[in-house]
Amino acid sequence: MKRLLFALLLAAIVFYTVFPFYWAIVSSLKSGSALFIVEAWPADPTLANYAAVFRGQPFGRSILNSLLVASGVVGVSLALAVTASYALGRVAFRGRSLLLLSILSVSMFPQVAVLSGLFELVRALGLYNSLWGLGLTYMIFTLPFTVWVLTTFMRELPRELEEAAIVDGATPWVIVTRIFLPLLGPALAATGLLAFITAWNEFLFALTFTLTDDRRTVPVAIALMSGASAFELPWGQVMAASVVVTVPLIALVLVFQRRIVSGLTAGAVKG
Amino acid sequence: MAAVELRGVRKAFGRTAVIHGIDLEIRDNEFMVFVGPSGCGKSTLLRLIAGLEDADGGDILIGGAEVNDVPPAGRGIAMVFQSYALYPHMSVYENMAFGLTLARTARHTVEDRVRAAARTLRIEDLLHRKPRELSGGQRQRVAIGRAIVREPRVFLFDEPLSNLDAALRVAMRIEIAELRRQIGATMVYVTHDQVEAMTLADRIAVLNAGRLEQVGTPMDLYHHPANTFVAGFLGSPRMNLLAATVTDVNGAAVTAALPGGGRVRIPVIADGVSAGDGVTLGVRPQHTVPAGDADAVLPGTVFVVERLGAETFCHVRLADGQAVVTQAAGDVRVAAGDPLAVGIAADTAHLFTGDGRALPRHRRHPLAEPPAPVTPAAAAPPPSR
Amino acid sequence: MAHGSALARERRRAAALFLAPMLAVLALVAVWPLARTVYFSFTDATLGSLDSYVIVGVENYRWLAEDPDWWRAVRNTVVFTVVSVTLETMLGLVIALALNARLPGRGLLRAAVLIPWAIPTVVSAQMWGWMFHDLYGVVNEALLAAGLIAAPKAWTADPDLSMTAVVLVDVWKATPFMTLLILAALQMLPRDLYEAARVDGIHPVRVFFRVTLPLIRPALMVAVIFRTLDALRVFDLMYVLTGNIRETMSMSVYARRQLIDFQDIGYGSAAATALFLVVALITVTTITLGRVRPGGKGGSG
Ligand SMILES: Nc1ncnc2c1ncn2[C@@H]1O[C@H](COP(=O)(O)OP(=O)(O)OP(=O)(O)O)[C@@H](O)[C@H]1O
Ligand SMILES: [Mg+2]
Repeated sequence: MKRLLFALLLAAIVFYTVFPFYWAIVSSLKSGSALFIVEAWPADPTLANYAAVFRGQPFGRSILNSLLVASGVVGVSLALAVTASYALGRVAFRGRSLLLLSILSVSMFPQVAVLSGLFELVRALGLYNSLWGLGLTYMIFTLPFTVWVLTTFMRELPRELEEAAIVDGATPWVIVTRIFLPLLGPALAATGLLAFITAWNEFLFALTFTLTDDRRTVPVAIALMSGASAFELPWGQVMAASVVVTVPLIALVLVFQRRIVSGLTAGAVKG
Repeated sequence: MAAVELRGVRKAFGRTAVIHGIDLEIRDNEFMVFVGPSGCGKSTLLRLIAGLEDADGGDILIGGAEVNDVPPAGRGIAMVFQSYALYPHMSVYENMAFGLTLARTARHTVEDRVRAAARTLRIEDLLHRKPRELSGGQRQRVAIGRAIVREPRVFLFDEPLSNLDAALRVAMRIEIAELRRQIGATMVYVTHDQVEAMTLADRIAVLNAGRLEQVGTPMDLYHHPANTFVAGFLGSPRMNLLAATVTDVNGAAVTAALPGGGRVRIPVIADGVSAGDGVTLGVRPQHTVPAGDADAVLPGTVFVVERLGAETFCHVRLADGQAVVTQAAGDVRVAAGDPLAVGIAADTAHLFTGDGRALPRHRRHPLAEPPAPVTPAAAAPPPSR
Repeated sequence: MAHGSALARERRRAAALFLAPMLAVLALVAVWPLARTVYFSFTDATLGSLDSYVIVGVENYRWLAEDPDWWRAVRNTVVFTVVSVTLETMLGLVIALALNARLPGRGLLRAAVLIPWAIPTVVSAQMWGWMFHDLYGVVNEALLAAGLIAAPKAWTADPDLSMTAVVLVDVWKATPFMTLLILAALQMLPRDLYEAARVDGIHPVRVFFRVTLPLIRPALMVAVIFRTLDALRVFDLMYVLTGNIRETMSMSVYARRQLIDFQDIGYGSAAATALFLVVALITVTTITLGRVRPGGKGGSG
């Protein structure tokens, strides 16, 4: 009896978390008036919506934009964060924990609070409506996050290893690049993955700092699909687009869930 | 190949003083062992010599030159860590070559030195393996090999064998002794293990709460402990320390009244004690004798008998409640509850003042001489840097 | 490690060099824009004339204080934050406890629970928007079939329901984060603790409140703070799900509307600054008052 209740509870949890996504898939496979019939699986599944998504707007371009911006931002953030996290995690200096807290608090900034200042900056640099500008602004949340998480990973590396390297004559730069970096592979993967997902999902900056269809990222493209006319929303296409951008994320989550969990908890629980 | 000298070295972590002004000279080519209870500062002292910690006061000299401001890599030292601290992502060869490569040593020199060290340590077949593919003993050898290739003037070991099982520890201990004969360099070795300390050391430094209690050869410390701390710390089972009272003092000996009414006349220099003073009598379990041969006896009752086969330890309760341990032959017939008179021989008994200082003996034990200077078998190689 | 020696000096110099690029980037994209936003809030700058403006003092803030829409946005944000973070914490606890039980396929379950977290907010807003559709939505359909409602509801447009809809979507989206952090804390608890409690015959509910909850409290607090700060700046969800309607407009949506849609940089910056101050105040209060110190070892579970 108890076991049954527990199984029911688990089933309810899974249903609750998975159903909306399932429903999006079902809806994306219907076209025309079939969309308005509630049924567990489309009687007549069709990929028409998927075709329409890519034909109606430069959705492929949006995906490419998102990929470029997110991976570029993650790469730069990790590069800057590796050395910084060594300094923060392993070198004793005055004001270290205050600095660390300040960096953490930057990632807590409401994005809107920097919007007008960033707008001015992006325009002054001539980067309005450009992926470079978008990448630059994304550093405000990916960089503090990667620094913070990598610092907690850095702290966990054994002290004697670093001392052995010091006795061997390694400078801090050699320690970071030749001893610690190879050992931090899994941590870099976890951190990079989380930062990638955050950048991929970002909406406010992408909405504000790009203008034309061909510079849009995926979230903006999907949000604006329905924007034009409030009466005639292309729901089938919206669902198809949603499925397209979510499937890779879910695949990533399934494959790297252990990494993701370690990164998330390193950032919040252990920190 | 260099003497190490500590002059008034002090170290504190925050407000906790950990090393309280230590003066110590480690001679060229000497094997010096640091022992002491956990937390007494052995590792800290070693790390101070290495340059991994910075002294708050005093000077450290290696090979006669002050190294206070020299970074670890420039001190001509090599360190073997308790956890081995091998670089996990590098092969054994790369682990051993890393320091030399950083110092821009010529490729063939690196190769020669690594291979030579590998041969000495019999790890030639493992050079391409990663540390995780090695057993504990093999890792230990690699860690030592990494130290050897640096051709340091001073080797520093921090409890290098403590992560090995008992059998391996004995084997590695013998190898270290052998290695020591082959390469001849100054070695400083921290350990918890008395047997390691006694068998490996030329001299032992006993530390307690950040202070040096005594420095001397193993036999010095065993036969002439300077105080009750050293007396109790070295030797197994521990030396029996019993409260006694001085009854008579003359130029040749001090006579003390024992619990249970006996008296013993011990040939030590009075050095300030006089009749009526409370003192501590020290008798090692190995030095107890049959009552018939004894200069004095301590009557009591056996309460525990521990038989190890070759020897038997009897725990004896004296009338005033103090406990005494004796060591006897393995076949001695005794059982808990038996009365037993513990015999003391005056020439192996120790006497300590009320504050724990040993009264010096008139005659030193024949083995407790200052150690002969060590001559390495092979010609010593020049320092690496 | 050493403090005043050559080694320590070299390490500190390296640390400064290592930190410099990162700090320079953060100064450029975070500190400077924030300072400019605060500065703009005292001007009458507009999007079109970002370089010709006059200082108007606290004028923008006075308007802000008098704007009922702003106060409505403040109220919406606070209500949204309190309700959704509370629900997420409770639900997260339940799910984490369920997943903490040893059972086959736990990894897969955990992955399933992670899905909503990985989905972009915009996408989840659209998916739920479709489920909440007034005419063809599956939610209405299901509730009608179950007899819970008599007529279809306009979930995202109805003033009485739109906030509920927003909270529901946020709970769906953010509970995984809570669940994961709580689960991680639970898995760090020693197992023999429970065995001891079971041997003593203590009721599981009591064990939860007396043993489990106090032990995971620090981790729980960290998760709650992270979620709270995140909820206070909510933007995507309302913007996509319910648009600019008054009943769900958050402070972020309000500020962006002023800044970009109405092009009023001065006034919008004042709203943004106010939001920043609220978030900063809450952060500083929790960090100093609470025993939770994300920077130290105290905050660990
Ligand atoms: N980095 C440090 N910060 C603060 N205190 C320290 C630090 N390193 C050591 N200590 C303290 O200094 C004292 C001596 O430590 P040390 O490691 O030298 O002891 P030890 O003799 O090597 O002990 P063990 O035999 O357990 O290895 C201890 O009380 C320890 O807590
Ligand atoms: Mg130690």
